[in-house]
Amino acid sequence: MKIAGSAQLPFSPERTYDLMQDPVLLAKAIPGCEALQKTGDDEYSLKMKMVLASLSGAFDGKVRLTEPDRPNSFRMVVEGSGKIGFMKGDGLLRLTPKDGGTEVAYEGDAQIGGTMAAVGNRMIDMTARMLIKRFFEKLSAEPAA
Amino acid sequence: MATTVTNIEKLVGKRIRRKEDPRLITGTATYVEDIKLPGMHHAVIVRSPHGAANIKGVDISKAAALPGVAAVFTGADITGVGSVVCGADLPGLRKPVHHILAQSRVYYVGHPVAVVVATDRYIAADGADLVEVDYEVTQAVTDPEKALAEGAPAVHPEWPDNKAFVFLQKGGDMEKAFADAEVVVKQRITSQRLVPNAMETRGVVADWLQAEHSLTLFTSTQIPHLARTILAGQLGIDENRVRVVAPEVGGGFGSKLNVYAEEALMGFISRKIGKPVKWIESRRENFLVTIHGRGHVDYFEIAAKRDGTILGLKLKLIQDLGAYHQLLTPAIPTLSVLMMPGLYNFRNIDAEVIGTFTNCVPTDAYRGAGRPEATHGIERMVDLLAAELNMDPAVIRFKNFVQPDQFPFPTATGLNYDSGDYGATLQKALDTIGYDDLRKQQAAARLEGRLMGIGISTYGELCAFGPSPATPAGGWESATVRVEPSGKVTIHTGTSPHGQGQETSFAQLAADELGVSMDDIVVLHGDTSVIPYGIGTFGSRNTAVGGPALFYALQDIKEKVKKFGKMLLKSENVVFENGKCTCQVSGKEVTFQTIAGAAYRAMQLPPDTDPGLVATKFWEPSNFAFPFGAHIIVSEVDRETGQIEIKRYVAVDDIGNQLNPLLVEGQVHGGAAQGLGQALWEHGIYDDNGQLMTGEFMDYAMPRASMMPWVECSHTTTPSPVNPLGVKGVGEAGTIGSTPAMVNSVMDALMPLGIRHLDMPLTPEKVWKAINGAA
Repeated sequence: MKIAGSAQLPFSPERTYDLMQDPVLLAKAIPGCEALQKTGDDEYSLKMKMVLASLSGAFDGKVRLTEPDRPNSFRMVVEGSGKIGFMKGDGLLRLTPKDGGTEVAYEGDAQIGGTMAAVGNRMIDMTARMLIKRFFEKLSAEPAA
Repeated sequence: MATTVTNIEKLVGKRIRRKEDPRLITGTATYVEDIKLPGMHHAVIVRSPHGAANIKGVDISKAAALPGVAAVFTGADITGVGSVVCGADLPGLRKPVHHILAQSRVYYVGHPVAVVVATDRYIAADGADLVEVDYEVTQAVTDPEKALAEGAPAVHPEWPDNKAFVFLQKGGDMEKAFADAEVVVKQRITSQRLVPNAMETRGVVADWLQAEHSLTLFTSTQIPHLARTILAGQLGIDENRVRVVAPEVGGGFGSKLNVYAEEALMGFISRKIGKPVKWIESRRENFLVTIHGRGHVDYFEIAAKRDGTILGLKLKLIQDLGAYHQLLTPAIPTLSVLMMPGLYNFRNIDAEVIGTFTNCVPTDAYRGAGRPEATHGIERMVDLLAAELNMDPAVIRFKNFVQPDQFPFPTATGLNYDSGDYGATLQKALDTIGYDDLRKQQAAARLEGRLMGIGISTYGELCAFGPSPATPAGGWESATVRVEPSGKVTIHTGTSPHGQGQETSFAQLAADELGVSMDDIVVLHGDTSVIPYGIGTFGSRNTAVGGPALFYALQDIKEKVKKFGKMLLKSENVVFENGKCTCQVSGKEVTFQTIAGAAYRAMQLPPDTDPGLVATKFWEPSNFAFPFGAHIIVSEVDRETGQIEIKRYVAVDDIGNQLNPLLVEGQVHGGAAQGLGQALWEHGIYDDNGQLMTGEFMDYAMPRASMMPWVECSHTTTPSPVNPLGVKGVGEAGTIGSTPAMVNSVMDALMPLGIRHLDMPLTPEKVWKAINGAA
């Protein structure tokens, strides 16, 4: 599944970049995130609750941030698995100044498997889009500095 | 009871309601899930979420520690248990070893990796969640054409070309046919993967008795005896110490014409833990791991004269086999090419079947098994040829039919069609639906811009499997007639009916032959400890193979009854009719019931006659039976939405004689529902990683009753010369005839738009896109 889109954040690219690397903020902004821990340089482990159509379940995952190019871009690699299946995502996030804030454009691939794929397929696209939207909304609510 | 007919009135040929139905519609039938044994444990299977992966490790410690979990088994524990059996063989066939639990590799999503056994099902499910499997995911391939491409991931590393077999079927002189051809039409036609979806999912209860060294296995199967033979072999238990019981079976459609890993696995577990164990397949598992049907990509070429005479048919058939072979997987597409001549009088056939491994659940027999795919392809090609030649699709069929005086008709594929009058059947269908008038209506509709279509399919099928050389496990059937001392009659059939209604139709047959009431007859089946060995239920064979076995057993009983009649009436001049032996000289009578009592009391016996009144017959047909028919569907396509409305559906089937027309109609209606499901809605779709994206009824469009048209059923009757009942078989006819009639109808509707062919399912989205030029 291809995932692509963009979001407008009311911060400078530098501030946006830093927010998106801050485990405390990420934990707050990732929908359903119950715990997020830094486990290494640019690597985090996370526990989140995933709800998809009639399915819900806990996910154990890993987030890795690679190819850092502050404040222009970075790559995010997400892997998670739980009772309802697994997911893997890999995407490039590009930050550009726009209208006094920053536009974050993202583009990547996501793979899901297990029960989620068999049962929730119709909903996955929409769910992914909704989760991403919520993530950026939460992030936007942070103070400007 | 519902039947209040007198003994004298003949029951065969009457519309009699099923004796099976009261228990089915009052919820008192016993399915595997209803079976509860003392001390019974429950198993839940841990399955691969990946289409292709290496197993780096399995950690069962957390699961094993869960209170209530009795045992956890992985691939390492099942040494000594035989692998899943493929009963089909072809020259050069590559057979992957298919262990009942994965060893170092998984090949498809749903592949069993471990099993958790607990005191209840919920604990077992919780335990299954605690099994940790470390997978190293590798690249999967799910599209059979991509699997055949250079550099595709290998499903089985030992066979990098992903080819399980290449099978050739040739007849006649194809080069000459194409040299003589004035027109050649080519088309790629797919027959998509379907999920059989029996209403009852699979289930197994296994009960090992250590002291007896015996295993009783309740399983939802169409083939209890074959399952027993195979399971005894897999588990290393004497065949006579394995009892397989198929209790009520809630639909099979071929998906239970199989012996699955879970059946041996439950036998293995029960023996290991010394307790009965139950496994019930969930609906999600059923989608993932019970065989799928169809899965063809076909490249057809038809050669013809300008006058419409068909000269030959070429086919390259790519069969999506899935990751390994279930019981009959590789044999199914060979049935397709056997049927390639259809009902037509051409002698040149050239087919190449490429059996292709993919990282999907195996395909295998699904109602029609190879024949629906073939018939759809042929009937589409005939319509495409008619369109190319600007001929009426009915006219081109009449022109090419095998004629009544050509029977027995040897086909280019080596079959011998037994009997038929194909033109008469099509004519009856055309008359019933008012064909000429419909074409006028269609012309008028087209002027108004409406998209009305008339689709014809004239199908032939081979069924009543079959002569033994053509059937993987013997093509005969058995029947025992046990007349009890009271004159009540118990029939054992080696078939294993599960909805086909033989408890009724066989009772009708026996009632007529013996002159007793249907209510005096009980038909038993599906328990290997009670029933003599039988082959089972598939390929429209119950009535056409099991029926004659019963018929001949009944003749033996009648002979013996007559001997007792002569003795009791002290006359040689005795007839047995209407349940009585009558002396034609004195007019004295003795009833069947009195004779039954005398045969068991045995105070006196006729010369050379043993006590008792029991007969068993094993009977094998000399040939398949070849039912045929003409299905016509009138439809209208909504230009704005792509929605298809079925206006009328006429089915004229020739299935030979009918024991019970009500049961026949039920089979045609049910078959048509499944065939229309393929034409319009159903599609089992895998993504490139091996995930089944249509894993539930929200995503897999099962036909519902409200979506069905009324099928106007009628018949022509050409009795089969192959068996004494003159019957042919109807279990699959509706599935075979309906699909191409539906697709031809829609393509006929779309013809003014220049749309030549669309692959199934013809969803409104697909049709709309085609109409709007976006397909």
